[in-house]
Amino acid sequence: MPPQAWLTVMPWAGPLALVTIWEIAARLGLIPPHLLPAPTTVLGTAIGLAVEGTLLTDLLVSLSRAAIGFFIGGSVGFALGTAVGFSRLAEAVLDRSIQMLRSIPFVASLPLVIVWFGVAEAEKIFVVSLAVMFPIYINTTLGIRQVDPKLLELGRVSGLDTAETIRRIVLPGALPSILTGIRYALAVAWLALVVAETVGASSGIGFLALDAREFLRTDVIIVTIVIYAVIGVLADGIARWLERRLLAWHPNYAGGRRK
Amino acid sequence: MTVQTAVLPKLAVNVVGLSKAFGERVVLKNLRMRIARGEFVALLGESGCGKTTLLRALAGLEPVDGGHIEAPRLPAIVFQEPRLLPWEPLWRNVSLGLPAPDARDRAVAALTEVGLTGRFDDWPLKLSGGQAHRVALARALVKEPELLLLDEPFAAVDALTRIKMHVLVKTLVARHRPGVLLVTHDVDEAIVLADRILIMSGGVIDRDYLVADYPERRVLRRLLLADLGVLLTDEA
Repeated sequence: MPPQAWLTVMPWAGPLALVTIWEIAARLGLIPPHLLPAPTTVLGTAIGLAVEGTLLTDLLVSLSRAAIGFFIGGSVGFALGTAVGFSRLAEAVLDRSIQMLRSIPFVASLPLVIVWFGVAEAEKIFVVSLAVMFPIYINTTLGIRQVDPKLLELGRVSGLDTAETIRRIVLPGALPSILTGIRYALAVAWLALVVAETVGASSGIGFLALDAREFLRTDVIIVTIVIYAVIGVLADGIARWLERRLLAWHPNYAGGRRK
Repeated sequence: MTVQTAVLPKLAVNVVGLSKAFGERVVLKNLRMRIARGEFVALLGESGCGKTTLLRALAGLEPVDGGHIEAPRLPAIVFQEPRLLPWEPLWRNVSLGLPAPDARDRAVAALTEVGLTGRFDDWPLKLSGGQAHRVALARALVKEPELLLLDEPFAAVDALTRIKMHVLVKTLVARHRPGVLLVTHDVDEAIVLADRILIMSGGVIDRDYLVADYPERRVLRRLLLADLGVLLTDEA
């Protein structure tokens, strides 16, 4: 195999070895099944849950919660970040309050949120939105502030109006930073959802895990953990794909592949 | 201060009584300057003498304390750095601020003129320094400006590229005939390119040389260098 191919294969060797050792250890009875069932058992449980149980519905419920929360929190964060990035006045009015709210860990606000919304859908979406809002806000503000003033001056001497300046200079200039915010926010959204769903829910992946704990179904708990992991990786993949597409001009992201 | 956008029939630039101070430091002192249409003027002076401030004032980028400027409302500028938008392909960079529906055709023509045929859709970050400067030049000329401002545009490129750029600028200016103000440190660059060379000192235009009056370039070079405080011995 050429060295290039080795480099793509090698990162998978570690995880694969780990799972194999785990499987063997579980099969030999070295690990008690109620603590850690074998990977094949977990896979079987997952298939069973998907075919007969509510796994797919729960997954869909969780995903839609994350998506709605991400959309709401992302929109609010982007709007606030744009306002504060452009206007010193907006910064004076808004920034201090937002920074103070940001310093509260969203988990700490959960009891209050439950008092407000109960353990209904609104609670989960609110927690996700809150968690997503801040990374998007900060990176949008930062991105806009970091736009090269020399390029803004170029816009001025080229006779661009404000709308054109924003569209052709400010937003593209802020985009790398905004995408970093999105990538971070995707991870946080997922984290927030796990927390919200394990505190109180009657559907969703978190609920599945909680329910399984009641019945000491370790295999189901592991299924939910693996699902969280897989979706986290997928979300990161989406963010990277966005970066490659939107930052194709940037050699660090696309290697200037466009000819 | 008055800034009038209409330009006298034969002049590209008419500056009268221009003053500007940064705090205590006076950089423009009741300065007068005229550039005829189609005339190539080079402005020499020591660092910090206010050359760039004058150029930026002509472009409307620098507020002045007093005086009168007549210049086209949107002159074309080439800065010391190319200042390309890295997220837009070359032709979009060149057509920046060009409202016409045939913007792409005009941008393509301008890029071809500066020798970048077939690279219209490339990203700016793929270009070498010299190529990026060519794009900046194309962007300035595509608007067919009456006034072209060059702010030390070749200071940051290597010596060979600079010579190539000189030839290119000379050809392009001869074809499009804008009035040109070139701010530079380089005496030889000024002699090669300009019709008229101004020396700026103490916030005013101190000397004014018509290059055509000096068939022997060495003579002019020696005079200019002396004005800038460099005295040459006979051998140099």
